[in-house]
Amino acid sequence: MSNISMLLNGFSVVLTFQNVSICLLGAILGLIVGAMPGIGSLAGVALLLPLTYKFNPTSAIILLGSLYYSNMFGGSFSAILLNIPGDSPAVMTMLDGYPMAKKGRPGQALFCANISSFIGGAIGLLILTFLGPGMASFGLHFGPQDMTALLLVAMTSIGYLVGKNPIEGIIMTLVGILISSIGMDPQSGAPRYNFNNMYLMGGIPFVPFVIGTVGFSQVLRLMSERNDRVDDEILKQRLTIKGSLLTRHDFRRMLPFAVRSGVLGTFVGVLPGAGATTGAFLGYAINRAFKSEESFGSGAIEGIASCEAANNAAAAGAFAPLLALGIPGSGTGAVLLGGLMMWGLSPGPLLFRNNPEFAWGLIASLFFANLIALVIAIGLIPFLIKILTVPVKIIIPVVTVICFVGSYANTYSMYGVVVMFISGIVSYICEKSGYSTAPMILSFVLAPLLESNMRKALITSQGSLRIFFTSPIACTFIIILFIIISFMIIRYFSRSSKTTMEGGK
Amino acid sequence: MDKLLIIALTLSLILPLHSKGSQEVAQTDFKPTKEITWYCTSKPGGGSDIYTRAICEIAVQNGLLDKAPIINYKTDGSGEVGRNEVANIGQNADYTLLTFNSGDLMPMVANTHNRLSNFTPIAIMATDKQLLFVNPNKGKYSTFEEAIRAAKGGVQIVIAGSKGDDLELYGMLIKELGLRENQMAYITNDSTADAITSGLGGHVDFVMSKPAAASEYVKAGMLVPVLALSSSRFAGALNSAPTLNEVNSMYNNVELPVWRGVVGPANMSKEAAKFYSDMLFEVSCSIAWKEGYLATYSLESSFLDMEAAKAYMEEYQTAYLKKIGK
Repeated sequence: MSNISMLLNGFSVVLTFQNVSICLLGAILGLIVGAMPGIGSLAGVALLLPLTYKFNPTSAIILLGSLYYSNMFGGSFSAILLNIPGDSPAVMTMLDGYPMAKKGRPGQALFCANISSFIGGAIGLLILTFLGPGMASFGLHFGPQDMTALLLVAMTSIGYLVGKNPIEGIIMTLVGILISSIGMDPQSGAPRYNFNNMYLMGGIPFVPFVIGTVGFSQVLRLMSERNDRVDDEILKQRLTIKGSLLTRHDFRRMLPFAVRSGVLGTFVGVLPGAGATTGAFLGYAINRAFKSEESFGSGAIEGIASCEAANNAAAAGAFAPLLALGIPGSGTGAVLLGGLMMWGLSPGPLLFRNNPEFAWGLIASLFFANLIALVIAIGLIPFLIKILTVPVKIIIPVVTVICFVGSYANTYSMYGVVVMFISGIVSYICEKSGYSTAPMILSFVLAPLLESNMRKALITSQGSLRIFFTSPIACTFIIILFIIISFMIIRYFSRSSKTTMEGGK
Repeated sequence: MDKLLIIALTLSLILPLHSKGSQEVAQTDFKPTKEITWYCTSKPGGGSDIYTRAICEIAVQNGLLDKAPIINYKTDGSGEVGRNEVANIGQNADYTLLTFNSGDLMPMVANTHNRLSNFTPIAIMATDKQLLFVNPNKGKYSTFEEAIRAAKGGVQIVIAGSKGDDLELYGMLIKELGLRENQMAYITNDSTADAITSGLGGHVDFVMSKPAAASEYVKAGMLVPVLALSSSRFAGALNSAPTLNEVNSMYNNVELPVWRGVVGPANMSKEAAKFYSDMLFEVSCSIAWKEGYLATYSLESSFLDMEAAKAYMEEYQTAYLKKIGK
């Protein structure tokens, strides 16, 4: 039977009153969970899992799948409006989303994030439908040397965040790498930089760290500025869906970036251990090389489209190895895998053959959840952007509470709150001193993945760097890496010479 | 008068005995009257979480507990914070339980000063053992004997596995084979699923896994078991894998049974520990446990009550501390 007829069968499973209701519930919960900083899809799915034991497996996976998927939509809300990422992939959305909201276009930023998420998701799901098992096998070809080279390409996105202060940027990048190395050595399991502290043995948790670095430091900044005035531009906004619509020009600007990121993100999602966060980072880094009307990082609609489409597509792509091979592509995938076993199914290479109604029912439900999440998310825009009109004296305590609750919810302990508090204060001081914290966050996310893969590759090659040039995939990425770096160097020198010439006149 | 004196004397001797006896009955008859907090030092959705929740659910379903315990996920410091908290709990010791596996004991004694003496062992519920698998389509070696020969001939062999007990077992294996780490290398992955992924991609020579994680790939013909890391062969589809001694009689079998247990704080009363141990025995006898948990995750039933579990865990800790030179 062709994939289309299997998918249609899947829709016949999903489109019952019970499953549509469950899918709707999952999509709403996913949006809420995604929008709440600190919780994320992993905790959302894990907390809901015990409630699904009494469900039949298809209904249960529809609930969890739609929650996971719509969570990707919700993550951008707080990133754009509060400069606090709802989940880790939304870190990149924050870079352009928040400046765009500050420019007086919060509705358009949210609309762009939602429509890009939908486009990325649709591309990812279409690729999953037609090439799912093939893509899963493709992902297996990526060994640690290939992942290392790919992550080095993703690391170049840090270069764009360094901006006009390269030395400060490099220092903050190295600080991020240093902080990420606290915890357990990924190969030997020995504690590293923990100073005999049991909490540090598990490392610095990502979500509280980011909430502190971005969210709590912003609270401190707002407090120090003592500015109670709400931005006039935002007050003038029409708080309606119509007022938030993208213009035809905006849509033309974002579409090619969303499509490119959709395809790229899907393939990143398939790769072992890469996940939606790496997808968003790579989507941003690769698309940065293409011409955009506004520069990335300054509130460019292209920047929002690049990362939002990529992270939703990666979430769809991650289902390919999960369903075709039983390999979870992320922490959330691992929880879903545990769920499959609890429901009496056998996840693995025979799932599509032995339980086609389940596998295709899930894929059909993801299509449905993608559409539902878009409709609900767009409907919420007028209510969401009202957040920006709330006076600073109210925003400060509210955001502070969100920072504390989000940090606690992520770690289930006060340790997360302490990490958030300290990183917030340190980041505030850094930002005040002209050290941007964005390169630190990016290196903090990517460095552990890079270290783990590089060390695995070097164990395999007995320490020889040749492994990065003998593998065709790794070699291709190394060439791309050199091209990107060369492009950045050429651009830096051409700008410097242009500035010198203008100064001479 | 004499009769009255005899009756009074008899009563005066019996009553204290009776009151003491009543006290004894009350002490052994512990039954939880408050909420039980069950610490789990792994994240929700993982193996330890599923194990903990399976016990709780069966205990409530079978009327062994009136109310499901509250599961407290304490994952800080790779679980060490949670284990330390249980070890030092003051009040509520009779209402605190901890999921405790061999994979928890090893890093705990290696990296911290926390020891088994800070806990009250309550039961061991199940054990698991590992095998080595090869990808028949991409693997260079079809038997483990070929790999040993290649390693001794100067070709590096790479095994992928998970952390904790897998890493320890790898150390035992190369020691028995008389090989060095650069002759037979080991890549530590965050999970067995990651190790299997690298095996399916042909990036390593062998994958170390427990039966549950690999069974579907064996059924699909994507992985083939080549070495049972056990003192005897496994049953069913894994029966084709020989033990190390069967591969070559000059080697002893290598095994590191991975046990899943439950402990309480050191100051938990004997009565409470006995109650929980008996409760876990009832859980281990239930069909839901045997078919719903052990069969699903291909674990071996190996119930040990509080006394036997204590002896087993202590022996395990002593051997491990000696091995790491502590």
